[in-house]
Amino acid sequence: MRRFKLGRASIHVVLATGVLISFFPFYWMVVMATNTTADIYRYPPKLTPGSHLIENIHRLLDSIDFFGSMLNTVMVAITTTVLVLFIDSLAAFTFAKYRFPGRNFLFGALLALYMLPTQLAILPQFIIASDLGLAGTLRALIIPPIANAFGIFWMRQYITSAVPDELIDAAKVDGAGFFRQYWQIAIPAIRPGLAFLGIYVFVAAWNDYIWPLIVLVDPDRITLQLALAQLNTAHGTDFSMVMAGTLLAIIPLVVIFGFFARNFIADATKGAVRE
Amino acid sequence: MRRTGIVSYWRQYLAISPFFLVFVGFNLIPVFFTLYLAFQRWDGLGDMKFVGLDQFKFLIHDPTFWLSVKNTIIIWVLGTFPMLFVALIIAVMLNAGVRFTSFYRIAYFLPNVTSLVAVALFFFAIFSSSNGLVNAVLHLMHLPQVQWLQNPFAIKVVIALLMSWQWTGYNAIIYLAGLQTIPTQLYEAAQLDGAGPVRMFRHITVPLLRPIILFTLIVSTVTGLQSFTEPQVLFGSTASVNPNSGGPGQAGLTMMLYFYHQAFDNNDYGYGAAIVWALFLLILLFVVINWRLVARSERRERVR
Amino acid sequence: MELSRRRLLQAGLLAAAGGVTAACGGGSKSSGSSGPKEIDLWYWAGGLSDKVVADSVTHFAALGTVKPSVIGGDFKQKLTTTLAAGRSLPAITGIKGEDIAALLPQAKQFVDLNTLGADKLQSQYLTWKWKQGSTQDGKLIGFPIDIGPTGLFYRADLFEKAGLPSKPEEVAAQIKTWDDWFEAGKQLHGKVPKSFPVNTVQSILSAAIGQNTVRFIDTNNKFVGDQDHIRKAWDTALKPLTLGIDAKINDNSWNAAIASGAVAAEVGAAWHGLDISSAGPDTKGKWRVAPTPSGPANIGGSFLAIPAKGDNHELAFQVITWLLNADNQGRGFTDASLFPSMPAAYKLPALTGPDPFFGGQVTIDVFGPAAENIPIAYEAPADAAVSAPYYNEIIKVETGKDANQAWNDAVSQAKSIAQKQGVS
Repeated sequence: MRRFKLGRASIHVVLATGVLISFFPFYWMVVMATNTTADIYRYPPKLTPGSHLIENIHRLLDSIDFFGSMLNTVMVAITTTVLVLFIDSLAAFTFAKYRFPGRNFLFGALLALYMLPTQLAILPQFIIASDLGLAGTLRALIIPPIANAFGIFWMRQYITSAVPDELIDAAKVDGAGFFRQYWQIAIPAIRPGLAFLGIYVFVAAWNDYIWPLIVLVDPDRITLQLALAQLNTAHGTDFSMVMAGTLLAIIPLVVIFGFFARNFIADATKGAVRE
Repeated sequence: MRRTGIVSYWRQYLAISPFFLVFVGFNLIPVFFTLYLAFQRWDGLGDMKFVGLDQFKFLIHDPTFWLSVKNTIIIWVLGTFPMLFVALIIAVMLNAGVRFTSFYRIAYFLPNVTSLVAVALFFFAIFSSSNGLVNAVLHLMHLPQVQWLQNPFAIKVVIALLMSWQWTGYNAIIYLAGLQTIPTQLYEAAQLDGAGPVRMFRHITVPLLRPIILFTLIVSTVTGLQSFTEPQVLFGSTASVNPNSGGPGQAGLTMMLYFYHQAFDNNDYGYGAAIVWALFLLILLFVVINWRLVARSERRERVR
Repeated sequence: MELSRRRLLQAGLLAAAGGVTAACGGGSKSSGSSGPKEIDLWYWAGGLSDKVVADSVTHFAALGTVKPSVIGGDFKQKLTTTLAAGRSLPAITGIKGEDIAALLPQAKQFVDLNTLGADKLQSQYLTWKWKQGSTQDGKLIGFPIDIGPTGLFYRADLFEKAGLPSKPEEVAAQIKTWDDWFEAGKQLHGKVPKSFPVNTVQSILSAAIGQNTVRFIDTNNKFVGDQDHIRKAWDTALKPLTLGIDAKINDNSWNAAIASGAVAAEVGAAWHGLDISSAGPDTKGKWRVAPTPSGPANIGGSFLAIPAKGDNHELAFQVITWLLNADNQGRGFTDASLFPSMPAAYKLPALTGPDPFFGGQVTIDVFGPAAENIPIAYEAPADAAVSAPYYNEIIKVETGKDANQAWNDAVSQAKSIAQKQGVS
């Protein structure tokens, strides 16, 4: 019995250490962002937050258009999320609840492509985006994520179990057409699923780096991640300024994630375990 | 049942068409277009010229390409196997019925949604050789300092640590979900037979978790071998002479970064396409190896 | 077939994206058919004097709107991907000195500035620089902004501490060759152990290569990177490493090293003075410049160009010639250490005045003669790509690779890259 208690305590010690490691970068970002670079350089380094956040943010705003690029990112992430949720759930609903010629073939093709690494397509994606006149614009960031194979795959599974066939049949009897079934029956039933996919897509859009790096140029039309990365180009040693930037950039996501975390994590694991 | 023509399904086709238009335009065509490009010489501006297998011939004799393969594999190994092992341990501990699991789960998952660029900048700051926190701590403990961002092996360790920080929690939570599906009676029965925790772990947990281990292994392989942002943000633009060459000694030059360098710094689209196809084949190879290893050990287990 | 499919795609995609994306704004630019003419100007931080650029906005307000954009990240990549996309091109773009040769084969993408009257201005600019921005058949693609004559930047206070001469004339008298310099460097590092005279062997390599009249590919389009002149530059560059006077700084801890005095000297182009002064503002007054050991070289120095698919070519050209007239070249030197490409500017007070960062030294005394004596070398389009392995490999020697092995690897890689690029 005694041994068992000891084991329990040591489990907690190990797990808490893990939590500290998880949280440490956030804490240390706060420390660096609120002190002067000289304080960070000092030996031994300062371990507690300071009072220089405002001036560090001032220097940040002098070197990049932080809020402009954040606004771009917000617009891209929201538009992408809305489009993906609508387009992917509609397609997933169709695959889940309707039979039509070519259904299995189309879904199979989609799954096969899902297996290919996305980066295999990135060079022609750039060429196609250029041909469509999208290169250099924020619209270039919105369209490719629509074909989110994971999104449709996950959504189809979700709809299959969350929307009972009887409900659809009843709606049919009532004379509801295909699109009304989607809008009035399916959508209300899959709200939690949409919330999960929405956060997933939003986070991915917020954090995307390589694709914006390739297609965006104009400093008025770059995303937050690009602006942040540019802090490391010229004078990378002003760490307090750089960290003020990274801190401000991750706060919105941490808040959103904290808000939805419980359900999000549960849904994120379901897909993997079901396989 | 009424016989109806394809036309009567127009609503369904309409419903899936936006998805498939983008899918065809931005996934299907590009994948084949990449293959086509790998047989061309093209700078993206002038005319394409068919060069047969030249790009691949060059690839085979290009030491920088092989260096990038080596770097990619070393970083992947360093950043995947210890990470998955630790994740499994954490999951087993979380599954041991401790309290606050939902807090732990959120805490462990958080790194996975944090922007990779921000984390890379953070790692750059703390591993910076002269004044970074890591070297200050080493100094405090009277240990020798390390030139983290200059020594070729240390560079790979830093990138692998970065990956591990982001993915350990994610994988732990996936494992936890799998562990929760294992019936507790199995453990109780084993305990009655006098099995210790290590034996239970090896003979119950690992075998039953095998499909999920395979899943995490494949996800880690596909993402790990495509690492790009970490070395690009850490070393991409600091070099004035030679951008995106992967830092000192090209030690952070991953295959994806080499692809980016050739395609977008050198405007060699054809060669870039060849590199990215080689990367795909490598990913495929590793996924198949993972699959075979896990499947074979399963077979062995059954025979026993 | 491909084309029609793309058209189809375009229609479908735009329909699919619908009006929602319109919210994201920023579509294609107006082609300037009506309203005030817009002149987008792309450059990188430090590529032009920000003050001159700001003045150009007011100067041209009556004729059009000059809209400057400082493009961050990898400038050449941003420019070439935009050229490849063929849309949203600026009216004027900067081109870095190290990229111009690689872009000359893309002459079709740019306006031949001679057709806009540049040929009449040619005599005012340095001949070799003008040639660098021209194609072999005489089209002018890049209009010269600045040049990069090299000098030896050094910390006078640390030199004094080490018992070395500290006045520029004395330094020039004592240090004539690379070997003189490394001798002096040994003394410096010996007396002031925390300071190094060389930041990285890479910077010596690039200066030593620039001291030749031949680079990696000769005018007959033949690869010569395995020949003596490159090998000599390579061996020279590695000497500080064997002597233990190389700081081996090849990441951006450079800034901190400049600020702390760990780097006490550096061979670099005139524009490098700006990097030093912004990395170590507190070292103001302690730096001086002396002539480059074993003779001057040119490193970098950039151009302005007009993309063919940009708008308002004539007005764009007017803006370029205004930005780079003698007066503004003088201001560029004061604000951004851009050394003029126009000899007439050398007599301006902006250049002949003392520079407080360099303790009141008149730096043109060093850079002026250097600019006149730069060895003129042909730079082939593939030069940058072919030279990359040398720069990568020499850094590997710094981190422990065998020097001969590194040389052999560099040569064999350079050879195969040259072959791939159509060099014989």
